[in-house]
Formats: sequence, C-alpha cells, structure tokens
Amino acid sequence: MKTIVYGEMKITTDDDGFLENIEDWNEKVACALAESEGVEELTADKIDILKFMRDYYKKYNFFPILRAVCKNAHQPGNCMTEKFIDPVQAWKIAGLPNPGDEVQMFRSWEPLGF
Amino acid sequence: MADTKVEQMSVKVVEDPSLMTGAIPAKDWMDVPAVFKPGNYCYPGKPSIMEYHNKNLPGLFGESREWEIEDDDWKLPENWKEIIINGIKERLDKFRSFKIFMDCCVRCGACADKCHFFLGTGDPKNMPVLRAELLRSVYRGELTKAGKILGRIANGREMTIDVLKEWFMYFYQCTECRRCSVFCPYGIDTAEVTMMGRELLHLVGVNTNWIMEPAANSNRTGNHLGLQPHTFKENAEYLIDDIEEVTGLRLESLNFNRKGAEVLFVIPSADVFADPGIFTFMGYCMLFDHIGLDYTISTYSSEGGNFGLFTSNQLMKKLNGKMFAEAKRLGVKWILGGECGHMWRVIHQYMDTMNGPADFLQVPTSPITGTRFDNAASTKMVHISEFTADLIHHGKLNLDPSRNDHRVVTFHDSCNPARAMGLLDEPRYVLNNVCNNFHDMPENTIREQTFCCGSGTGLNTGEIMDLRMMGGLPRANAVKYVREKHGVNTLACVCAIDRATLLALMEYWNPDVEVCGVSELVGNALIMEGEKEKDQGLRFEELAVKEGDTDV
Repeated sequence: MKTIVYGEMKITTDDDGFLENIEDWNEKVACALAESEGVEELTADKIDILKFMRDYYKKYNFFPILRAVCKNAHQPGNCMTEKFIDPVQAWKIAGLPNPGDEVQMFRSWEPLGF
Repeated sequence: MADTKVEQMSVKVVEDPSLMTGAIPAKDWMDVPAVFKPGNYCYPGKPSIMEYHNKNLPGLFGESREWEIEDDDWKLPENWKEIIINGIKERLDKFRSFKIFMDCCVRCGACADKCHFFLGTGDPKNMPVLRAELLRSVYRGELTKAGKILGRIANGREMTIDVLKEWFMYFYQCTECRRCSVFCPYGIDTAEVTMMGRELLHLVGVNTNWIMEPAANSNRTGNHLGLQPHTFKENAEYLIDDIEEVTGLRLESLNFNRKGAEVLFVIPSADVFADPGIFTFMGYCMLFDHIGLDYTISTYSSEGGNFGLFTSNQLMKKLNGKMFAEAKRLGVKWILGGECGHMWRVIHQYMDTMNGPADFLQVPTSPITGTRFDNAASTKMVHISEFTADLIHHGKLNLDPSRNDHRVVTFHDSCNPARAMGLLDEPRYVLNNVCNNFHDMPENTIREQTFCCGSGTGLNTGEIMDLRMMGGLPRANAVKYVREKHGVNTLACVCAIDRATLLALMEYWNPDVEVCGVSELVGNALIMEGEKEKDQGLRFEELAVKEGDTDV
C-alpha cells in the first residue's frame, strides 16, 4: 500500500502504484497518478484514451486490444505507445486495478521495454 | 527489456569463462550450490492463487504462503524431505518412463551441447544429462542399495535443502523443448524428468506465479488470460471489424457455443488479445469463411494451451478435459486446433489415455476435400496447418501469394508441434503457397532439431529477461543467418508463446525481424469473394508495390 500526495489530495495505491479503489478516479486523480508515473500533462486526447479503457474495463473486466483502444478513441493505431510509452502505464493512470502477470506477458509492447 | 545490453551479452556468451568457452570447473558439481540473485529466478506463486489451486486440487501444491526465493528459509513443511522421497517413490511406481529415465542414462554426453540454455549460459547444470542427474543422484542416494551404501562413489546423494533449491533453479531453466531427446541414443525424454522435478517441488509448495496464475485463470474462466466469455466474444468480434476494414467484407460466419456445428475450433487465448496473435486469428476467420466451414468456437474451452503440462499431471488432465467435454456438449464431429505449441504435446502424447477415449467423436474428415485424417484417429483433433495444407493441395483456396511480397519469410518450428507431433512439412507447404519469398534456416536448427524460443514452459516472465535472451540466442543466431543471407524480415511460427516471446527475442538480437503466425500469411494471401482492392495487410501494413504498377 502506498500513498501519493498531490496538492491537498492523498491517493491510496497498491505497492505497484495501481489505484486501490477504481471508483475513486476522476480527472484530477488521473493527473496525480500521471505525475507519479512521470507522464507530462494529460491532454484531452490522453484523457479520451483513459476514459475508453475505463468503460471497456467496466463492461469486460479486462485490458482492451490495443488497436481497439485507438480506434475507439479515434486516434492513430500507435496512439498508446506514442502517448503513454507503456500501455500498462495508461491503465494505471486510468485508475484500473493491477492486471496481473499473464497480461503483462502477452503485452504486444513487451519489446518496447520494461 | 533485458538488463544487459546486447553488445555486452554477446561478449559475455563468447568470452566469459564457462564450460561452453572451455573453462574447466574447479569443483565437483555436487559441491556448487545454487545461488539466487535478481534476474535468475521466477517469482513464487501468490498465496491467493495457491489457495485457489489447493481448493480445486487438494494435496498437490503444498501450503500457500508468503515466501521469497532469496530467503534462506523457504517456509517448507516440517516433513518436506519425507514428502519428496515418497513423491519420488510414488512416481517411480506410477510412471514407467520415469523409472526407465532414472535408471538407463549412461552419461555418454550426446545431449550435453544440444540444449539452448547450455549454449547460452555455459552453465554445466544446463547440460540435459546433468540436469537429469540432479534428480537421479537423489534417486540413487535415497532409494537404491548401492547409492545408500556407497553414496557419492555410486553417484548418489542425500536430499537436502540445497538440493531442493538447485532443482528449483535448473528445472526452471529447462523449457521441456526436447531437443536433447532427439540426440539421446536411449531416447530419454528429459522433458519428462523436468516435469517430474517440478511436480515434486509443487508437493512442498515450491512454484512460480507466472505458471500458477494463468493455470488458475484457465480453470476459472477457461483461458490463461482470464477473459470472461463476453470479453472473449467481444474481442473476437472486434477483429471481424478489422477484417472488414482491410477486405471490405463483413464476415458473418464467426459464432460461439453453437450446438450441432460440425467442427469445434480451439485456439490459444492470446490470439484474441495481443499482437501478433490477433492477426493469426483474423487469418483463421478468413479461411473458414472462404471455404464455408461449419465450425464454432467455445467460450468454455477457450484455451488450447495447458499450463498443467508445466505443473502436474492432474492439473494438466483437468484443464485438458474441457476440450472433450465441450465437444460432447456441442455435439460436434471432431476438433480443429489453432496455432498453439504445447497444446499439441498434451493432445498428441497424453490426451487419449488421460481424457479419452473420445468415442463420441468421429475420425476427422475434411468436409471440403473429403480427406480423412487417420493420424488423428485417437484424439480426433487436427492441426490448422494440416487442415490448410490439405485444402491447398486439393486446390480449394484462391490464393495470391504476391500479397505477401513485402515479407521475406523464414519458419521457426515451434518445439512441440515439431517434436511432439511431427508437424514439419505442412507449415512449410502452406508458406510456400502463400508467399513468394521463403527461406529455411540452417538444417541443424529447424524441423526436429529446432531451437527453442528460450522462454517456453512458463518461463516467459519479465523477471528472467537476461536468461531468456541467453537461452534464445541459438534460435536468434539462426534467424540472423537467414536475415543476412536472404534478407529475411519475417519469422513465422505456429505457437502463441512463440508469438509473445520471439517478439522480445527478435527485438533484442534481430530488431528488424517481425514475428507472425502462419495463418496470418494465409489470410493475407486469400482472395475473398467480393473483396475490395487490397492495399494493406491484416496488420494494416502497406503491401509491396506490384511490378508494372506506377507510383503516381
């Protein structure tokens, strides 16, 4: 369990930095999580990506296919890696729970570095 | 990515003192303990995951607990030694093969330099003969008269904590690929020795999370990833949208859990989740639509892979049972299997006795060509490459191989389809018909002598990246050869673990080589009825400019 302090806000995450309770998320919390991940300013297109990931997760309890994220957020096919470097980082900033080992391993972005 | 830079790694493999580079060990192998440090071991199973397994299959996985590999105390049960020795005895009685493999090795050394992990690490305990000896020495020391009396003189030793730790290190540096077995004059299947070693470790609660979590997912949701039925379906349907974008055609044939279909199609679940497996899946769907196959996909039996193979026989049997159970429930005639690797070892070598007989199914017959697959008479399961090769042979596919002209392709024989079921010619026949540029790697690195990707059997976890890159070096080296000689830019394979691990391996050793499934190239080459003019492949990549076309 970790606590991130952002202005007057305190946010609780697990040891890997994933938000403890997904319902505690809003755009401000996203900014705090982004800062702790070293991601610069959350622009509107980045927020769109995060929102789609949250909607998908609520329906399907899972990480979406990367191409589907970009298509649904109306952005180019490489939008995830271009805007967040690592899609798991986007997942984290979207306030979603730790996706577990298997998902990490089948990440198509594995060669990009971790 | 790996901690070590590729340049350093290359020098390390060739120049660091090791048995591979001619250095002579200073101590007897029994006197060299396993030393764990970050990067050379996989993390242990999470307590919640192990509790789940213990509830489902009690007595196989020891106590669930928090423990660390680098700690001296592994929090083993008090009578751990008794459990291990009894476990060995029980398995010697139960598995004839294990008894033979414990007794018959003459240590000729034919296997010694055939293991990719030995070639990459130079660690003597990665010679298959010595890896098996880690267990044989305990068998001799604890269970044979000569060993009990003469001890080390008879190459026997006692079971100790250090031995247990050594087992953990080296039975998790073996990918059960069975390349060593090809060269063994006695036909010793070292993979089965590793399987027994891992089963014994499980009895006292020694395990790795990267195997146990997917295995738990598979038991709970039907697949390793933990995709729930509606998610599995949603992802698959999304891929139909992508096919439409490329071909202009809406495929209507994809369906799930349909009773009365002729064929049940089982895939590795990563094919509906991650690149490049998703492109392989798109290839399957296009093929089935093209030939009008009466098939269905199950959201219950939604995984071909079986991490029970890397764990214990009982878990393997339980996970594999879903295929036959679902085939029976849906009333299909036979089962078609996708491009998955170790799935085929389980099916071809264990399924019939483990889950069979499948007398409610028929010997598979292609409804399109009439070919009867007598080779699959017992399991009733046919590999997609066999099925596709037969379609091509009978002229049933309308193909334009020039649509793969942007690719210069080589084929990685995935270990299990190659060595466990003899699938050697069919994928090559398919590739030669769907693309114009195909070049095999050198002959001692392909077909039954294929080199492993270096990360199979549940070793494709991030915490051992350096080890994986070393283990995969022989395979990467052979790819480099054809890349330099023929300009190869695409490494095709028929295994989902390969499609995940070869990506990392190529990025590390051969950064400009892409990885794909064979069926992706089939999908690219298919001329579908009513399609629009194609200007991109299934991954939205640009196709090669055709001769005569002008670039206006």
